[in-house]
Amino acid sequence: MPFSVLFKKFKSILERNNAILELMGDMGDKLGGEYIYDRQYLFETCERLGDQVFKLISDLSLLCQRKNVALFTAFERIQFRIREEMAGRRTLSRPDHILPLAELTHDLADEGGNKMAGLGDIRNILGFDVPEGFVITAGAYFEVIGQAGLRRDAAQSAVFPGEAEADLAVMSARLQEAILRVPIPKRLARAIEKAARETAGKDGLLAVRSSAWGEDGESSFAGMYESVLGVPPGEILDAYRRVLSSLFAEQALRHRAHHGPSGEEPAMAVGVMRMVDARTSGGLYTYAPLRDQDRAMVVSAAWGLGKPIVEGTAETDTYLLDREPPYELLSSDIAAKTTRMALVPSGGTDIREVPDAEQAVPCLTPDQIAVLARTAMALERFFKRPLDVEWAFTGDDALVVLQARPLAIQPREPSRRPDAAQAARDAPVLLSGQGVAAMGGVASGPVHLVKQREDLSDFPYGAILVAMHSSPRYARVMPRCRGIITDIGSATGHMATIARELRVPTLVGVGNATRTLTEGREITLDADHGVIYDGMVEALCRFELVRKDVFEESWEYRTLKRVLKHITPLTLLDPKADSFSPEFCTTFHDIARYVHQRAVNKLISLSETHPELKGNASRRLVTRLPLGLAVIDVDGGISPDASAEAAEEDLLCHPLKALLEGLNASGMWETRPVAVGMGSFLSSLTRTLSAEQAHPRRMGRNLAVISKEYLNLHLRLGYHFTVVDAFVGGPVNDNVIYFRFMGGVTDLARRSRRAGLVATILEHFDFMVELKGDMVTGRLKQHPTQAMLDAMFMLGGLIGYTRQLDAMLDSDGAGKRHVETFLHRIAHAGRNKK
Amino acid sequence: MNHHIPDAAPPTGGSPAGRRTSILILDDEPIVCKRLKPFFQKAGYEVEAFGRPAEALDRVRERRFDVVITDLKMPGMDGLAFLGQVKTQHPDTNVIVITGFATLETARESFRNGVFDFVAKPFKLPAILDAVKRIEKERGLVP
Repeated sequence: MPFSVLFKKFKSILERNNAILELMGDMGDKLGGEYIYDRQYLFETCERLGDQVFKLISDLSLLCQRKNVALFTAFERIQFRIREEMAGRRTLSRPDHILPLAELTHDLADEGGNKMAGLGDIRNILGFDVPEGFVITAGAYFEVIGQAGLRRDAAQSAVFPGEAEADLAVMSARLQEAILRVPIPKRLARAIEKAARETAGKDGLLAVRSSAWGEDGESSFAGMYESVLGVPPGEILDAYRRVLSSLFAEQALRHRAHHGPSGEEPAMAVGVMRMVDARTSGGLYTYAPLRDQDRAMVVSAAWGLGKPIVEGTAETDTYLLDREPPYELLSSDIAAKTTRMALVPSGGTDIREVPDAEQAVPCLTPDQIAVLARTAMALERFFKRPLDVEWAFTGDDALVVLQARPLAIQPREPSRRPDAAQAARDAPVLLSGQGVAAMGGVASGPVHLVKQREDLSDFPYGAILVAMHSSPRYARVMPRCRGIITDIGSATGHMATIARELRVPTLVGVGNATRTLTEGREITLDADHGVIYDGMVEALCRFELVRKDVFEESWEYRTLKRVLKHITPLTLLDPKADSFSPEFCTTFHDIARYVHQRAVNKLISLSETHPELKGNASRRLVTRLPLGLAVIDVDGGISPDASAEAAEEDLLCHPLKALLEGLNASGMWETRPVAVGMGSFLSSLTRTLSAEQAHPRRMGRNLAVISKEYLNLHLRLGYHFTVVDAFVGGPVNDNVIYFRFMGGVTDLARRSRRAGLVATILEHFDFMVELKGDMVTGRLKQHPTQAMLDAMFMLGGLIGYTRQLDAMLDSDGAGKRHVETFLHRIAHAGRNKK
Repeated sequence: MNHHIPDAAPPTGGSPAGRRTSILILDDEPIVCKRLKPFFQKAGYEVEAFGRPAEALDRVRERRFDVVITDLKMPGMDGLAFLGQVKTQHPDTNVIVITGFATLETARESFRNGVFDFVAKPFKLPAILDAVKRIEKERGLVP
């Protein structure tokens, strides 16, 4: 086949690869707060993406004249999973229907039920203590009642509006009785018992709790289903049956008949947790449903276990706290607590006397109250709703969150809407109409300006973080901060992703926030509208809190997140590894990466061996630095007079010239020995680099495909693998730089540190950055040509500077120092300053 | 990446006299109503949202809205037919069409039917707010 045809295929692969990355980025954008999209968008984008990936594989087949069956199979496998997700079917990866709490988040709400999924979020996303445990999934429920032949009856129980009350009682009795005697399929029973034993440990008892579909949602009320406490692991199956049967209690049937969404099949996941031997426990409403205390949270507490408190049968201490930090105690009412509920070691609970001396003592200390308040407000911000939190303090004073459910309150419903708009209209505006919502929502608090070198360990609790650049290092203070505002940053950056995970309202790219907002100033951030108000706009915060639908919990949002798991993660990292093969492609990104790599290899070998080209197509570029770079010119990228050994002066390709200039002129190419004692593993590196004169094939295949405006560069320096794909110099809208950096010879910690450093630097220069393990991708688009060439210059410096750097990154502090050194050097070597 | 709303102002739905600009939203995809309604409410608008064309039509027969935001493709009734009805009832109501099936032809057809603006889904929240603000400005609803 003529080379021109093959090269066209190669170019088409590059273009498609970029289009795929674009689409993936576009889908990622939709997780931010800015866009309105619907089902249709999800279906259409998934189809388009699938289509592109399929054609990409077809292009490779043509280029390599192979059938690529394995690659098509991988594609089919991933495509199938995506379609299953879109259809709402979870491909069940756990035939035993047991899901450890450690693996549960909202994404698995269908399997684990709302209540347990919420607890999973509290543990796995927010990082608070919850009891150890697992969920027997809704899938298990279907298996159990399916095998017992009850599925139709059970489903039927949800669709009988208008039926006589007496019939309800009969139906309830029949179903409950059947379920209390239902045989549990052997494999499932064994799995439950095993997990129960492991969870209980030696002498431990279990709490077995309902987590039904729709429970704790808008149309349910608390306490409708059963919880069984103090269960010895040997009795787990009976407790499981009891909780399952409560799905069909008469009052539950009646409630669903009156409130339930018509026709939705009921299902019951069941949470099994190790009982917390509580010294004190209780409940907390983050928003007191009291007429004149609209801004208070209320805590009820008693000695021992919390069940009597929840049921309202115990004497409790009551504390009212301000909802704003430092959560001042507004009032406390200490009751005479004569009894407490305690665990019986052999199983179950009993009620005991409280010694006289302890009866009138407050059962919470000021410190405990403070911890509770902070935790509860963090939960409320995450769930974006007023909450009813069940909690316990253990004997060693650790707070354990037992449950958090939405509190069905509507503070002054009829008047709240005009309130919010009116308040927004009356409040002085500090900034508006700038920036992109990386995460929607409203937050208020004092401004804390974060400076570049600042040590974040003193970040004030409850403040709003305001910084020049977005940075992944803010992740560690996100649980403490209420909102984030940056002058520069993107909705697809690493920081934005974490902010979304933790649901911190975040506005990036505001431009002049650090100049406008002063330290300590109280502000309210409305990320959805891109407005920053002076002072605390209470009505706006309340409006946000009592809205019915939380976007992050919508089907569209959750489905997009699920689908993206099969699309964007890159697991195929090392092209030298055996696992770099179609069989190991688990996402569309993997496929794209694999195809790209294969195509580049193919092009290099073609350029070396193709009869049409032999001799002149691929030139060796002679540079001052040992890059071992072969150049293929597609269109006007090199002077027609250049020989097979082209000099830098022969280059006409703008982006490559700027990049090489950065490599040469900035003095970033570190030539000193890296560190004493590092020599052994660096020798391999040195060997590669000294092989400057070697044939490209042994050089690690460094290749640049160029035209006047275009550069596609694959640079492997030792174990550091860089890809640059850039179009610079056409219309501004076509200007784009894609940069990818990965690898390293040291351990993952150092490599990740270097990746973090590269990410920080790229974000500093306005790149949209993604960070996965030791791989960084950065994209810069649609800036004026001059700015794009400056960015290429910077990238040249960055490639040189970071080349051997991972070996030196023995601490996070070292990473920070190197960012500063680099920024300092590149600023002084700047293209314009020369 | 920065993105600016032209003459951005704090949320200010409605006239200084106190009457708030009224908006009807019609989209059969619940997520669109669920997100647009609080968004506009928070910005000071009076908002009603409907998932079914028939219900929205009943409401339009009962009262006039300043702005109607409607999807184009819905089961039961085409968005174009709905907007025809709206225009018949209240010729001075401004209509913004939002659609996931944006073609040149549908856009043309919409404009022929007196549509004020045409926004392709997915869209950014500030974009639709901007469209409504332009209507307000043009009609002197805001100073």
